[in-house]
Amino acid sequence: MNSVIEVASLRKTFKGRDGTSRAVLTDLNLAVSAGEFLCILGPSGCGKSTLLNVLAGLDNVYDGRVNLNGGRVGYLFQEPRLLPWLTADENLDFALDSCRVPPSRWSDLKSRYLAMTGLSEYRDYYPHQISGGMAQRLALVRSLCVEPGILLMDEPFSGLDEITARRIRSDLLAIWRETRKTIVFVTHNAYEACFLADRILVMSDGAFRQEMRVPIARPRNYDDLAIFEFSRDVIKAFGDEIGNAAVPSVPPVTETSLVDDLDRHAATRMNI
Amino acid sequence: MLKLLSVVTAVIVWGLLSLTLPPEIFPGPIETTRALWAEIAGGQVETDLAMTMLRVVAGLVLALMLGVPVGIVMGLNRRAEAFLDVWVMIGLTVPSLCYAIMAFIWFGLNEGAAIIAIAVTAAPSITINIWEGVKNIDTRLVAMARVFEASRAAIVRRVLLPQILPYVMASARFGLGIIWKITVLVELIGRPNGVGFKLFYWYQLADMRQVLAWTLLFTIIMVLIELLILKPIERRLFAWRPQVAV
Repeated sequence: MNSVIEVASLRKTFKGRDGTSRAVLTDLNLAVSAGEFLCILGPSGCGKSTLLNVLAGLDNVYDGRVNLNGGRVGYLFQEPRLLPWLTADENLDFALDSCRVPPSRWSDLKSRYLAMTGLSEYRDYYPHQISGGMAQRLALVRSLCVEPGILLMDEPFSGLDEITARRIRSDLLAIWRETRKTIVFVTHNAYEACFLADRILVMSDGAFRQEMRVPIARPRNYDDLAIFEFSRDVIKAFGDEIGNAAVPSVPPVTETSLVDDLDRHAATRMNI
Repeated sequence: MLKLLSVVTAVIVWGLLSLTLPPEIFPGPIETTRALWAEIAGGQVETDLAMTMLRVVAGLVLALMLGVPVGIVMGLNRRAEAFLDVWVMIGLTVPSLCYAIMAFIWFGLNEGAAIIAIAVTAAPSITINIWEGVKNIDTRLVAMARVFEASRAAIVRRVLLPQILPYVMASARFGLGIIWKITVLVELIGRPNGVGFKLFYWYQLADMRQVLAWTLLFTIIMVLIELLILKPIERRLFAWRPQVAV
């Protein structure tokens, strides 16, 4: 199978102010094939955003090999990150211009993706004039209209209310079906991962702990019982992994930080 | 509407307060306006006003040229910040009168010295404003631009500058307020014309009508500059901003 993303022995450590170093990514190996929808599932702080930053080229300080050959890389952040002084339309122009897409194609690309996300009416609105959900959808349009081969998404719907998030997830699957981009989608929401992905990699403490293929046929329905049941299995694996990994990763520490860690893990379990 | 009411109230308060002292010591608004009108009609104000305006504008331009780059460097670089921090604080603390005296003694009683004194006094405040602004730059937007392969020049021009511009505008307005006051002081001690010179002249003659007339004159000019030049520029530049209830 032809992989568009290949990562081998990827390691990354952060140096703290006190000189101690902390491993964020430990010996990661990853292959993503063309057109695949991959979800990386893990609790906050497990290194999944760091991995995405490395893949996007925002972070160049690491050991190991990272190879992307699926064309331009699009990136959807957790927040919309629109330029507030530009209208919706001008925000798209900024991206198209930056990526040096020939101006003759701008109009078609914008119309196409704005229509797909139901934003055609809002071209002349400034970001503060539209809702958070619409802003994130506009950010999705922005990342799509530069025609990336690979789309990296960093918990893009975690800041939205559930109803809005559901609609955008369905939009995303529809767009993916039509365009067949390779997507790496990072999330801490197991149900979301089961709904979206072909394959789920469970990540904790900077390493992949488990790989699961999602055995549910497409097109999928968000309320499908099969998704619910599969997500239960994933949550179980997810929870076990965090529990196992937590023990060696917590050295003898002061009481306060121990409580923090326990809380974090309890919270992660309850959240999913 | 509320603004008009506020101006009317100020004039009434002035009128009432002026009744507490004899008119030659504290003239009311009507007498002051009459005195001002006589000065304007007699052709007494243009030269002095023009000279003051010239010094204000030149001082502001020079102050921005000094203050903005230093503020940007301090916002971008920790070492520069640590090094220049004390300088800015000293610059801010030294009274404007000291700058004026030093400039006139070192560079002579000329326009250049006056403008240098004005600019050096105002520059530290401008620097602090810009420094704050640069530190508030949203680096997440820079990361976004980098993901979209924007060139370095494009990031500076289209992502960084629009974020700093509001602070430059604020410094210009703020700086103008300070510069008016320094200019008058500088004119008082070292120039043969200008609003400050006139104020001092009439003070020596103990003519309070004229002192208040000149004060009124440049207050009106200041407000007009604010309303007719700065506000419209700001409205045009920052049309994208969410309207805060007015």
